[in-house]
Amino acid sequence: MIAKLAWKNIWFKPLNTILSVVLLTSSVAIITTLVLVEKQFEEKFTKNIDGVDLVMGAQGSPLQLILSSVYHVDAPTGNISYDSAKVWMQHPFVEKAIPLAFGDNYRGFKILGTTADYLEKYEAKIAEGKIFENNFEVVIGSKIAQKLSLTIGDEFFGSHGGAAEGHVHEEYAYKVVGIAAPTGKVVDNLILCTIPSVWQMHGDHGSIESENPAHGEEGHVHVEGDDQDHNHHHDLTLDEPGMEITAVLLKFRNKMGIVTWPRIIAQNTKMQVASPALEVNRLFSLFGIGIQAMQYLAYGIMLISGISIFIALYNTLKERKNEFALLRVNGAKRMQLMQLVLIESLLLCIVGFIFGTILGRVSILWISASSEQDFKMSFNPYEFLWDKEGVLFLLTIGVGVVAALIPALKAYKLNISKTLANA
Amino acid sequence: MISTNKITFSYNKDQVFYMPDLYCEAGNTILITGDSGKGKTTYLHILGGLLQPTTGTIEINKENMLALSEKKLDKFRGKNIGIVFQKSHFVSALTVLENLEMASWLATGKKNSVRAKRLLEQLDVANQANKLPSQLSIGQQQRVSIARALMNEPKVLLADEPTSSLDDKNAEKVIELLTSLSKEYKAALVIVTHDSRIKEKFINKITLI
Repeated sequence: MIAKLAWKNIWFKPLNTILSVVLLTSSVAIITTLVLVEKQFEEKFTKNIDGVDLVMGAQGSPLQLILSSVYHVDAPTGNISYDSAKVWMQHPFVEKAIPLAFGDNYRGFKILGTTADYLEKYEAKIAEGKIFENNFEVVIGSKIAQKLSLTIGDEFFGSHGGAAEGHVHEEYAYKVVGIAAPTGKVVDNLILCTIPSVWQMHGDHGSIESENPAHGEEGHVHVEGDDQDHNHHHDLTLDEPGMEITAVLLKFRNKMGIVTWPRIIAQNTKMQVASPALEVNRLFSLFGIGIQAMQYLAYGIMLISGISIFIALYNTLKERKNEFALLRVNGAKRMQLMQLVLIESLLLCIVGFIFGTILGRVSILWISASSEQDFKMSFNPYEFLWDKEGVLFLLTIGVGVVAALIPALKAYKLNISKTLANA
Repeated sequence: MISTNKITFSYNKDQVFYMPDLYCEAGNTILITGDSGKGKTTYLHILGGLLQPTTGTIEINKENMLALSEKKLDKFRGKNIGIVFQKSHFVSALTVLENLEMASWLATGKKNSVRAKRLLEQLDVANQANKLPSQLSIGQQQRVSIARALMNEPKVLLADEPTSSLDDKNAEKVIELLTSLSKEYKAALVIVTHDSRIKEKFINKITLI
């Protein structure tokens, strides 16, 4: 009955109530969104670097190297000689080395030349068909299969570089031989083939060093014509000398390598190695500042909503003094009046929290839709972080209790006789 | 029935109110009159258990109300005393009917809707039951407060200037309702007033000087 009265009371002054609820909703929504995006973002980023201790690639920004070769969200730093990379790949410290050659794209999805180890590293099982063996056979990620509705046996032509509008290579058609099972990692959005496929697609072996620079978005000039004919004659293999690749993912047997290689490689070769864990941490700490600023903003809004609830309760207390006195005359105890004020405040907070939680998830749906398009990264709005959101709930309740404290005490201490005599 | 014995009260040391003893049987009416500032409302609040007097005793149905603890007094007041105020107060977010139900819930823990509806009918405001109190005329509001005061079948019905804001016709009607209903529900009726229109109607009078 007290709760019912509290509910009726808060809707009796709808404007006050709506102001408080809107403020609470927005702060809860912002915090929920930040918490979820941050957590899922970190999870996705760390999930992809599992099993990669270092990445070897062309000199340039180490962060760019990591972003391009591990997450496929940036242009590569350039190419490295496969022959010199091989020296390091066969080093006894190395447990596993996965070479990557960035090729073309098919309707915006990257075609990546690699080995079967790549699928293994991401624990991507072949859901349908088999793994690529011969050149121009491809295994496609689960999301691609779903979005482009490709099936085993389909053939397609790639466009050059990373842009979907690039030049179309019509010399060779890729053939889908396998579809990978969903993993929630980058491999879902990749088309995988053998490294020689990439070499062969880009023509004249031997002269590749001079004519096959980094496959950035700007692309390169393709040499097509005279040399074309003899390219068709034989299929290239991994043993082809003088070829280039884009990067190598390294997993170490000996952890010493992780520490010492960055300096050794930088001093002795034209390549660099970068640590994904380190670079990703750097990235997070950059993001962290922004996220923290947003969080402070959200807590600020929550503080304001607390003040708004306090003012609303305090103001109405004056006009409701008579009501409170009357309830006492009718047999209400002091505690019951205190409860009434507290419940009103808590109801506002709970309503605000529920709306905020929902709104936060709606905004994640939006963010997910646009990040899916731009970065092939999606967020799950239906995930509940019981610990963090639980703390947020307790915080909201705390705001409600604190805001109601003084009004509730005033209601508790109300002098019935004086109030009624002065009415 | 209600009786008092040697009640004194003071807001400060300079002014002490000596309240004359009163005795009123169930179904009877007693009038407390006096000029303003003589403590009429104070006396009524003391009788209603809203103010604690300095000395004296109040017995309602042979129970000394002033010996009760505050919590027990809240309950006792809700059950045994009905008060009609000069200006009607309601819980503005609740409808007329809900206001009455709230009164019975606070005192007894049960919503007595049947009784609430019957009282509203007796007081000729049944068709206003689902309106908010603020939508009623002053006369109607006063009748609803009477209904609320009678909700828990009180032993004592206290009325503080129940007619001062009403016109002659409504004033007469309210007085008539108060006396007839207190008889029907066997409550001792104590009216505090300085309204000359009702002074002549009653024989039992106490004048505060």
